[in-house]
Amino acid sequence: MPLCPSCEIEAGDWESIASHMAGMGDSCHTMWLNRNISISRISPGELAVSLERFFRAEDGLGEWVRRKVVERIYSGPHPFIAAMQRPSRAILLGYVYEHRHFLTNWVQVLSSVIYGTDDERVIGYELANIATEYVNGAGPSHFELLLRMGESLGANRQDVLASQPLSGTANAIRVWRGIAKERSWVETMAAMHSLEFIADRRVKVLGASVHYFNVDILDSDLYTPEARKFLREGYEADSYHASEAMKLVEEHALGQMVQRVQLTVLKSLDAVSTYLNSRLERARMLEGSS
Amino acid sequence: MKIIVNGREAGTRDTGCALCGSTWGDYYEEIDGQRLFFCCNLCAKGFTNIAEGIKGAWGPFEVLTIDGSYSTGRHCTAMKGDQRRTFFVRFTDNADIEVFRQEQ
Repeated sequence: MPLCPSCEIEAGDWESIASHMAGMGDSCHTMWLNRNISISRISPGELAVSLERFFRAEDGLGEWVRRKVVERIYSGPHPFIAAMQRPSRAILLGYVYEHRHFLTNWVQVLSSVIYGTDDERVIGYELANIATEYVNGAGPSHFELLLRMGESLGANRQDVLASQPLSGTANAIRVWRGIAKERSWVETMAAMHSLEFIADRRVKVLGASVHYFNVDILDSDLYTPEARKFLREGYEADSYHASEAMKLVEEHALGQMVQRVQLTVLKSLDAVSTYLNSRLERARMLEGSS
Repeated sequence: MKIIVNGREAGTRDTGCALCGSTWGDYYEEIDGQRLFFCCNLCAKGFTNIAEGIKGAWGPFEVLTIDGSYSTGRHCTAMKGDQRRTFFVRFTDNADIEVFRQEQ
């Protein structure tokens, strides 16, 4: 039975959900329609068709998530991704200062997935992901590579580690922590790993006009080896990470859980957009102070 | 006050929400003596914050163009006579001001 995508009440069919949404008129229902269906009012009958089509995941939940990532983040594209086509030193430093907080939160939220599940494969998968992102082992962690990129651009490591997140980053982290606290581990896993699709090499196949960053950077002398190393790691790892995670999510998301996962992923994508804005805002602050 | 949202006149039930252009919802608020249509109370709050911010920084205006969205922020150009000022505005989820700055 479908759920209202805003308040999650259950109804027998999409027609009932559409009538309910069209009649509510409060900010939560209206904003959801504006952001996901259309800013132009349509009849309840048309809305029912649109909602059914919006949530249809005929080629699998993973592909649905991938498509939504492209629609949300790459239609435009997001100003941070536009800036990453030829990033200035300030843009990369904005990345460093805000992403430091993102990565700490990342492993904290993934820990809640481990706590919530009894599936050994999920536990193993998330532990491996946490290690890659946060623990220096055979090679430097993603977190360490981020700090090295910052240092190569003139930032002081202790200054980066001691910095406070900008409000957009803090708000996004609040959303992800709320998901970890209030939603199931399956939704939390999907919400987090859907973000790795942003760096997926296939985004252009799904309609994006650009990649997450201009891949020419990886071979360009205009950027420090540390910056290129950090970007390369993400470029090579994120697509694999997200695809594997989504296979596990698909196994556990049955019945109504499919739509719950979809709704939680959309919340996560709203949060990541806010977070990417903070990277730009930090870059602007650093430009102003240099 | 004339309001243009993403290239289209807005502010009535027919033309759409004075902040985002949406024709969903049914919320009205009187701003500077003008009854404006909004799709929800948060858009009304956001619009009020923009109008008050611009008036505080520059003074009253006759035309306001708003370009952008909730996710990327909005470029707002206020006009009076042949003068104009552009501001970049972004809101929190509660339509409080997160970023408000004058642009070149």
